[in-house]
Amino acid sequence: MRSVFVRGVGVISPLGQTWPETRAALETGATGIAPITSFDVEGYPSRVAACVPWTLDDKQDRRLALAKHAAAEAWKHAAIEAPPARIGIFVGAESGRATYETIFALSRAAGGSAQFNHQLFGQNARPLAARIHSATVSPAAVASVLARLVGARGPVETISLACASGAAAIVEATRAIRLGMCDVALTGGVGADVDPFMLVGFGILGALSSRGISCPFDVRRDGFVVGEGAAMIVLSAERGDASVEVAGVARSLDAHHLTAPDPNGDGATRVMRAALNDARTDTVDYVQAHGTSTPLNDAVEAAALARVLGSNLDQAHVGAVKGALGHWIAGAGAVGFVCGYEAVLSGICVPTAGLVEPDRAFLLPHIMGRAIRKNVRGALVNAFAFGGANASIVVSRCN
Amino acid sequence: MQLKSDIFVVAVSSLTHVGMLGVELGRRVVRGEVPALCPLDVPHPSRPEDVRQRKLMSRASWMSALVMRDALAMARWSEQREEIGAYFGVGASGAEMDDVARLIGSSLDEQKKFSLARCGKEGLDASNPLFAFQIMNNFTLCHGSILEGLAGTNGAYFSRGLGTVTALEEACLALVEGECERVLVGGADTASHPVTLAELEREGYLRDGLVPVDGAAALALSREADVPLGRIESIWVCPVERPRDGLIPRAGVLRDAAVMASVDALAEHPCDLLVLAPWGAPAREILSELPEALAIKQSIDLTNLLGESLAATPAVAWVAALGMLVETGAKRALVLTAGPDGDLGAVVLTRGGKR
Repeated sequence: MRSVFVRGVGVISPLGQTWPETRAALETGATGIAPITSFDVEGYPSRVAACVPWTLDDKQDRRLALAKHAAAEAWKHAAIEAPPARIGIFVGAESGRATYETIFALSRAAGGSAQFNHQLFGQNARPLAARIHSATVSPAAVASVLARLVGARGPVETISLACASGAAAIVEATRAIRLGMCDVALTGGVGADVDPFMLVGFGILGALSSRGISCPFDVRRDGFVVGEGAAMIVLSAERGDASVEVAGVARSLDAHHLTAPDPNGDGATRVMRAALNDARTDTVDYVQAHGTSTPLNDAVEAAALARVLGSNLDQAHVGAVKGALGHWIAGAGAVGFVCGYEAVLSGICVPTAGLVEPDRAFLLPHIMGRAIRKNVRGALVNAFAFGGANASIVVSRCN
Repeated sequence: MQLKSDIFVVAVSSLTHVGMLGVELGRRVVRGEVPALCPLDVPHPSRPEDVRQRKLMSRASWMSALVMRDALAMARWSEQREEIGAYFGVGASGAEMDDVARLIGSSLDEQKKFSLARCGKEGLDASNPLFAFQIMNNFTLCHGSILEGLAGTNGAYFSRGLGTVTALEEACLALVEGECERVLVGGADTASHPVTLAELEREGYLRDGLVPVDGAAALALSREADVPLGRIESIWVCPVERPRDGLIPRAGVLRDAAVMASVDALAEHPCDLLVLAPWGAPAREILSELPEALAIKQSIDLTNLLGESLAATPAVAWVAALGMLVETGAKRALVLTAGPDGDLGAVVLTRGGKR
């Protein structure tokens, strides 16, 4: 089985237009969470989000703009060449959405009552169709744009596993390189869910922080804050000058509940164990936790970490980037991966922003305030999704 | 990818306008007993727990759950469900339009204009609690896996055709690599969803003969089986180059790619049956040349009979192909799918378990 090396990373986030910018801000414990100004949030269950503040060419679709930006950085960083047919694209993305104006018009076309009239819609909707460009709806548009950006003609996959999408895409890319299906993979995830429909949708569930604070593992945590951004990674079978590799990958399903994690943490435990087994290790020095800041998710993840790492837990400092960057949904696992990569590469372990008073119900070796520097031989990255899909990845220093 | 290890098809299920059928779907195709296309009548939930769940599920999620349950029952996989993997091609799951209508209807102000502020409060109050999850594509996989207790390795691939072939490839790799012993693979989609219809209209697919239908199918795959229905012999996931300004590959490019994919997939083995699933007229015209080019005597254009169900089409075609092999006694089938994503999938299935 071939090794898989990390050759380049790129990130655009609420805290920076590149990974070095983002990392520098994360090191200080900064947060990108701020009041939403892109639309009127009066009356919404949450009025804050972590938005990318820079101007982007997002006329067609914000996901595409974010993903392209991060991919360009990662590709430049990798400075890699390969035959187009040997380059694969593996992206975690969810569907985009037509604007609420368009959805409103579609609903009107169907009579505008509480019952959707399909017949009326069929008669009236044709002129509206031009408003819905496939690229704004299809998650596959992201992979398509990235393939064109780097000239890839190898395998192309779009993984839609909600909050585990980005991590699952990296899992798929790793497997593809290991099995020889491609030699180079551009992988990662993108999320752009700061919009009225998603705020309403997550708000109905009570998943959003009513206080507008993302504070994973804190005793005061009451939900997540939506964020946006993209993280892209270039993986390769050829080591080049890489010093970090993907050592272990795994996925599992909770098969428990639509919105809540299995309180026993069975799915989370199995996926972490499987990733560590795949990496042939039972210990890591850093954990980039999924850490959503929701009461149950953090408790379940903490308990699962304790079970999996056992007495090795003390040496594994834990950080969770959602406190600083919000929850990117399909992009969340990918930016978590980049944090794990950075810890192994430079020893910089980013903290859990927002964490002030750790929940005493579960004691983890948290990184609070500012980043720490330590010798990290291996890092574990977790991503757990609504619906119960889980992905874990172990990154380590190259042998 | 030619599979070096045996991957057996233990059971299949499909949900199309023909009904909820296993290998019987292929039998009906062979016998010419497929009724004219009509809207899919999806079975209503009967169990109390399903009635409750169905209210929260998108149509695609419910269809996916139904074929999962059916395939599991036919495979008699009632034990150790938590070890079973699940790989599905999923479409844009799509919120139920009644929910969208309720949300928007509650968000209008006194002048009947859409009010974001009302959307955030009254709209929220009127909505399905799982509105956000109907929008997320993975729930087409996750709803069914929760209802049926599948907790193994998994993947949900966005699909307009090829993603479902990728799901099959990844499922087989998971079996070959020993990540799991049993897996469900398939696809489910609602091409009749208004937003999807609008998208297909916008891109010109409907004008080019795409007949949008809803559908779902699942196959139960295993590394070991006493009396399997069939075996997966090879899977080829073939991205096809498209012109910079278009979504549809040029005719010559698609033809060359289809021939090459077929030749690679068959690996010089004889083939008795060619099952084609072209999305519409441009792909249909090209694939119709293949039986002669590949010298395969028996062929069928499945989407001509069953319509185009996007993420579900390849899985429906595999189910039909297995049924056709069983009905005709033929040994090997090549299933060639060409979805509106412009790409090709080539899968070779053999009847029974013998190599």
